[in-house]
Amino acid sequence: MRRLAPSPTTRVEVDRPVPFRWVGRSIEGCQGDTVASALWNAGVRTFGRSFEYHRPRGLFDLEGEGASQLVAIDGLPNQSAGTTALRAGMSVSAQNVSGDPRSDLYGVLDRFDRWMPAGFYYRRFHRPYRAWPFFQNRMRALAGLGVLDTSSPHDDARRSELYLNADVAVVGGGVSGMAAALAAARPGVRVCLFERRPWLGGHMDWRVRETRGERLYERAHGLAEEVAAHPHIRALTAAPVTGIWGENLVTGFQNGSDADGFDERHWECRARAVIVATGTIERPLVFNHNDRPGVMVSDTAWRLARSYAVRPGMRAVFSVGDDLALEAAVDLASLGIDVAAVADARADGADPELVAALERAGIEFLPGYAASAALGKHAVAGVTIATLDGSDERRFACDLLVANAGRQPDIGALSSAGARFRHSPHTHTFEIESLPADVFAAGRVTGLVDAEAIETSGRRAGLEAFVHLAGGLGAAFPSTDEPSVYAELTKIRAYSSELPGPPAGCGILHGPNLGSGRKAFLDFDEDGTWKNAVQCAEQGFDVPELAKRFGNFGLGPGQYRVPGQNVAMAMAQITGTAIEEIRCTTVRPPLIAPKLATVAGPNHDSYKRTPLHDDQASRGGVFRRAGAWQRARYFSDDHTCRAEIRNVRENVGLLDSSPLGKFRIYGPDAIHALQRVYISDMTKMKPGRCKYSAMCNDTGNIIDDGVVVPMGRDDYYFTTSSNRAASTVEWFRYHTRYDGWNYNLVNLTDTLASINLAGPRARDVLRKVTDADLSNQAFPYIGYREIAVGDGIAARCMRLGFVGELSYELHVGASHAPHVWDLLWSAGEEFGIQPFGLEAQNALRAEKGHVIIGAESEQRVTLLDIGMGWLWSREDTASKKVGAPALRACQDQPNRMKLVGFRVDEGGGSPQDGAIVVDGDDILGFVCTTRYSEALGWQFGMALVKERAIGDGDVAGLEIYENLGGRPRRTRATIVPPHFYDPDGTRLRS
Amino acid sequence: MTFRLTCPVCGARDVYEFRYGGPERGMRPAQEDLSPEEHFRWTQFRTTRPAPQEEWWYHAAGCGVWFSTWRNPATNREEGPAT
Ligand SMILES: [Zn+2]
Repeated sequence: MRRLAPSPTTRVEVDRPVPFRWVGRSIEGCQGDTVASALWNAGVRTFGRSFEYHRPRGLFDLEGEGASQLVAIDGLPNQSAGTTALRAGMSVSAQNVSGDPRSDLYGVLDRFDRWMPAGFYYRRFHRPYRAWPFFQNRMRALAGLGVLDTSSPHDDARRSELYLNADVAVVGGGVSGMAAALAAARPGVRVCLFERRPWLGGHMDWRVRETRGERLYERAHGLAEEVAAHPHIRALTAAPVTGIWGENLVTGFQNGSDADGFDERHWECRARAVIVATGTIERPLVFNHNDRPGVMVSDTAWRLARSYAVRPGMRAVFSVGDDLALEAAVDLASLGIDVAAVADARADGADPELVAALERAGIEFLPGYAASAALGKHAVAGVTIATLDGSDERRFACDLLVANAGRQPDIGALSSAGARFRHSPHTHTFEIESLPADVFAAGRVTGLVDAEAIETSGRRAGLEAFVHLAGGLGAAFPSTDEPSVYAELTKIRAYSSELPGPPAGCGILHGPNLGSGRKAFLDFDEDGTWKNAVQCAEQGFDVPELAKRFGNFGLGPGQYRVPGQNVAMAMAQITGTAIEEIRCTTVRPPLIAPKLATVAGPNHDSYKRTPLHDDQASRGGVFRRAGAWQRARYFSDDHTCRAEIRNVRENVGLLDSSPLGKFRIYGPDAIHALQRVYISDMTKMKPGRCKYSAMCNDTGNIIDDGVVVPMGRDDYYFTTSSNRAASTVEWFRYHTRYDGWNYNLVNLTDTLASINLAGPRARDVLRKVTDADLSNQAFPYIGYREIAVGDGIAARCMRLGFVGELSYELHVGASHAPHVWDLLWSAGEEFGIQPFGLEAQNALRAEKGHVIIGAESEQRVTLLDIGMGWLWSREDTASKKVGAPALRACQDQPNRMKLVGFRVDEGGGSPQDGAIVVDGDDILGFVCTTRYSEALGWQFGMALVKERAIGDGDVAGLEIYENLGGRPRRTRATIVPPHFYDPDGTRLRS
Repeated sequence: MTFRLTCPVCGARDVYEFRYGGPERGMRPAQEDLSPEEHFRWTQFRTTRPAPQEEWWYHAAGCGVWFSTWRNPATNREEGPAT
């Protein structure tokens, strides 16, 4: 269709065509269009089918919230046609449709409404119980909106996040919001302004009416320029607010363009004060077939024409209840649209100036009339208009029916900020009763209509917010222009009282001659009709919050906007209750739904890499995420790591164990802190020796193990397991928080790398890079030495045996680590040195029967349960060791889970880690780790099982049960001591 | 739900930065003659009421200090004890 001639309010470039596809058809929009404006201009009237009855639905409002205007774009369902910017090459399709949206096969459901009363799904099909799955599947096939295209793995939109801090946040970039921002943005005050539309200006952006010598859009454009140029104001457009939370955290999202570097981003703004200027929404008029494509609220028709240069229809009829809609009728007529008649549900109270303008334009004005039914099968072809008592009914042919029942404040943001509302018999809306102290409201959301009053209310709110931040009038202002602020606020308060306040509103809810109202919709998203509302009340769900849930009013994507306060008004009318006694339904965030992917944010996989990462990668390391780190798990395709294991057992291997937690604790009370958190007697440490111990929590569960080394007077070095490194400082400080002890704790985990040299040739390798005496006498097992490596690189060296072989753990500065690694590599070449990864280490240590906290323990398991009670300094009560009372309490408890070793019986298979241990139907425990050992020649493992499975218990051996892919498998195993490999420890002491 | 807390070192920060350590429940009891019941009452029982209470917080994403502060769980505002 040919566009209207561009005017100063036009936001599109009509001479820049943008081609796209609609249900496979090639059509054209233009630069600046939304999907909805382009479709409407191309003559598309049916955008999709409704949720329950598959009724044709079109463009009702341009704010992009109702389900009616949701479309699928490039395979992504549920995109808002009203707010999504048109891009060249988009493929747009209708939703909830079988076939063409104009003749949907399921449209027949529309005739079934008699059998689908309110609460239908709650009450039907639940009996007989066995029939439910059948009906459930059939209903699920019909229900839901849109189909996810699983052939495209995910949308590749660019996501982003923005975290803002402001002194004042302004929600809504209309004239009052902009005026508020400008008034508040004084020296030292940072203002953030959030506007849902892609431009500032609010409803004045498209109004050409002249007041005080200036056209309204000119005023709006002027303020927008001031805001954009203001150094203290950051204005985000296309940035809907999703909610206002505790202590003024304003959240929302923003749609970006190609130039922005993101497609949609999540933002949060922590503000000291918030000004809400969200304006109004049109309250839908309930009448028969009020959902026909071609029925729309006045702002939609008006904005199509004024902002998008799209002809909303050829011949229009209005059935409205507010002056702005009358202004829209006059303006549309001036743009060449044939306006046949304007019915105003108000018998009087219309702006005489607009009534005169309607008359001058030759438009029939019908005060006291409203639409009773839209005519036409797939789209509006006409309308019947009647007096409110239904006596005089008239019929008009039209393809555009502009309908509303008046206006209501858009209270969503205020509601989420904690404002309270009450019904006003004057405006017929729920208006603000009270606001939190640091939340202010301005503009039409307060009921104002007069342009000067709107702008003034914004300036006043800005000043009030500023004064609030400064501590109130009379307090010392932070700014230098204190007297002027004081004078200005006093002046503006006085001036506000002279300006017109909220005018009388329209209290109509539904049109005349409604009948049963079975095709008159209160809620378009889930096809909630007037009849359903009556049924809700009949069944006792007669207050708005109950009717909302039982009848599904306002639970769809439209949330509050449609049906808005109509639910409360309907319940009042149906039950004969005074509206003043009714509470409107609570508006819940998100006020406008962002994509979940946007809330989740960009897919940052942030992890740590050790200083030896690149070298391991070059040697074929296969990296896996392990806690905060990327670690080399394997060095070949053999995920059982036979070669890596064999090489450690026979020659020598190198492991990067840098993620190991490493800490220094020092100070006069350091030993007290160690005594508190470690379960052993830490006063018994010897210089040059590692003290192995464990930490428990207050319930006696083992949470960590590691070694502690005394380094000097009141100075200790200790290690923790890799995944405890991040919480160790918190743990120490928490458990000593009352004691006032003088100690310092330093996390050296990332500062120091750790290299584990393990295998019978480990000494031979290390000897080549250090002059230190490595003999078994000089540096025995469990010893600790500070040695110099290479040209004098300081290394903290521990002779430990986690993998069950002679081994040295070298802790060196992270920046020295690659060099030391290289030195060891060259030195070890003649001894067959090879790297090994986490999986080989896991198999090696399990073979030795060494536990990993979290693998051989879980949250129910105590220190005693895994056979490490020997670490516990039982007599010590003075240190108040964490976990000691719990260990005392449970040490004699019968039939706890205990850690055992097992050997899979001859001919048994290879069960998997995590398989359960059973006795008949009874679950006795589970397998922690199990592997096949080449060194032993059999499958070994460790399991946590109830005590009765052990020793003199009543169960002989273990029965391991698995059900992999529906194939049950039972494996028999015999309990053996969990020191499978080198039980005497001769190898690690050699 | 979101609010701010005042870290004694860093000042007012978003609650996301902190970890909750439970309401104040007194010093770790002496372990000499401590009955299991007393021990578990101290470790496990919490008394959160919708009134100002003293609580422990850890500034996890900040300076790493444990501190106690008075807060009203009903309003999520820092608020001193009722007088
Ligand atoms: Zn801090």
